[in-house]
Amino acid sequence: MGKRYRRLYYGKKLLGFFLSVFLLSVAVFYIARLAPGDPLVSYYGSQAERLGPQARAQAEERLGLRDPIYVQYARWLQNALQGDFGISYKYKADVLEVIGGRLGNTLLLGGGGFVLVFSLALGLGLFCAWQEGRWPDRLLCRLGTVTSCIPEFWLSLVLLLVFAVWLRWLPSGGAYSVGRSGDIPDRAAHLVLPMAAVVAGHLWYYAYMVRSRLLEEARKEYVRLAKSKGLGAWEILWKHCLRNAIPSYLSLMAISVPHILGGTYIVETVFSYPGVGALSYESARYQDYNLLMVLCILSGAVVILCNMAAQAIQERIDPRMKGAGAPEARGVGGNG
Amino acid sequence: MDEPFARTGARPFPEQGREKPQWHKGKPLAAMAVLGVILLGCLACGLFIPQDPAYMDLYHADQPPGPGAWFGTDSMGRDIFSMIWAGGRASLFIGFSATAVSTGIAILVGALSGLAPGWLDSLLMRAAELFLSIPSLLLALFIQAALGEAHVGSLSLVIGLTSWAGIAKVVRTEVRQARGSGYVAAARCMGAGFSRILFRHLVPNVFPSILFMVVMNIRGAIMAESTLSFLGLGLPLEQVSWGSMLSLSERAALSGAWWAVWIPGGFLVATLLCVTEIGNALREGQDRRRRNL
Repeated sequence: MGKRYRRLYYGKKLLGFFLSVFLLSVAVFYIARLAPGDPLVSYYGSQAERLGPQARAQAEERLGLRDPIYVQYARWLQNALQGDFGISYKYKADVLEVIGGRLGNTLLLGGGGFVLVFSLALGLGLFCAWQEGRWPDRLLCRLGTVTSCIPEFWLSLVLLLVFAVWLRWLPSGGAYSVGRSGDIPDRAAHLVLPMAAVVAGHLWYYAYMVRSRLLEEARKEYVRLAKSKGLGAWEILWKHCLRNAIPSYLSLMAISVPHILGGTYIVETVFSYPGVGALSYESARYQDYNLLMVLCILSGAVVILCNMAAQAIQERIDPRMKGAGAPEARGVGGNG
Repeated sequence: MDEPFARTGARPFPEQGREKPQWHKGKPLAAMAVLGVILLGCLACGLFIPQDPAYMDLYHADQPPGPGAWFGTDSMGRDIFSMIWAGGRASLFIGFSATAVSTGIAILVGALSGLAPGWLDSLLMRAAELFLSIPSLLLALFIQAALGEAHVGSLSLVIGLTSWAGIAKVVRTEVRQARGSGYVAAARCMGAGFSRILFRHLVPNVFPSILFMVVMNIRGAIMAESTLSFLGLGLPLEQVSWGSMLSLSERAALSGAWWAVWIPGGFLVATLLCVTEIGNALREGQDRRRRNL
């Protein structure tokens, strides 16, 4: 029974994914076009205001901005399905090229930050749970509360001020020094401050999750059994409690991918790091429609995929959730 | 032994009423005091600030803190001491009004979801989960960028509209719990309508548990305002707030003007920290059982 069911299950998921992306693209398209703002400004720069009415009409005609919105959308979709997402008005280049040049940087920063947050939070949470109530735990909890109150952009500013301006240990911005794009140590040096800001901004939230989840586990009966067998506190936490806490942590982390990536968007701006983040808010600000569409769809796809991954992880790891795939799919039907 | 029945071996019983309940126990006094000072200072800023916060004096730009300007001046020659208090007004106002918006939506959605039939409930919760899975700051950023020039009202609205989902989920859970309880059934038996049950019975009962979420929402809204303004998508430079003050500070940081970074940011972080402390104190006490480790 397994195989057919599974195929159906994945088919449904895939369909849901494409449907969501489609709806997202419609929504973004309409919102972006209906919002006030002049796309010609991003194409022609400040010259756009000096265009005469006729030249203006011509320019709009050429960019296809005069048709009704649904016609514009249909045209966009038709081209997009063939892999042509149009040109960026501002950069005058193919959208995919503009994004492609920066995606790697963001993935490096976001991905590296994610791995660091993930592992450090696990370690920190484990340590705090082990030391519960003693001074290291109390100290770390206080410290964590304070760091969780510091806005990411301000933390970046302070890091910039201290390490780049005062101490001059690290470069203040960019992804690499001029003319040294292949130099790995140089790249790493440019990555340290942004990465530190991303990690510090998110770390405590997840570490605290791990800590409270483990403390919950530490109050269960099986822990007493393990203790009476003669296991030490650390061993019980590490071998038994962690195993129970990890499924929920994994799915939490999967859901959090967009949040950590979103954090890099802000950090990128402060450090003028050439990534997707700075690009996306620029595109929203200057009505660079084609670029905005692709970036929104990309971010949206990440969000949807991560949600699906979280669900899948929970079903996989926790045997009790195994059957839950079916009720989940049924829930949409409305007899929940 | 002259007493016929002497008590032996019994633990002395603590006399009743010897320890007075301490009124400040469990209350974040320091946080409340600091927040109180900041709030009062911002509200009454007209009384004591030495200069019009929007007054630009380019001749005295970028001065470090000193007798002339206690907190120094920014790169446009504005007096930072005056700006802190006047700007705090805008920041705190946005914090509170955005939270009012999001709490309103959250209570409506959460209560509806908790009381409504299954299909509507699952629809609403899907929407809430969608909002939760997108970083609300990014969402606000895009909406605000699309809307163009911001002012205090639009910024509160945008921040409020993007941050209701977390509260809504808590409200729903609480309403679900309350719905099954006896007093709702009793009210229904006596012929109470939907809105009466909602506003007279459920809202007051659900309130304490969402208070924590609401306080944290204030924190999030103040943070969102400052971030948006910092990115140049929130309040414009002329409209002073902690965020718009910091929007100049990237250049200030690079030129070593530490006061333009540390002072507004310090006030911002202190406020956020106080709000967090108060929120944490509102949350029900931690699990006090001994751990089995």
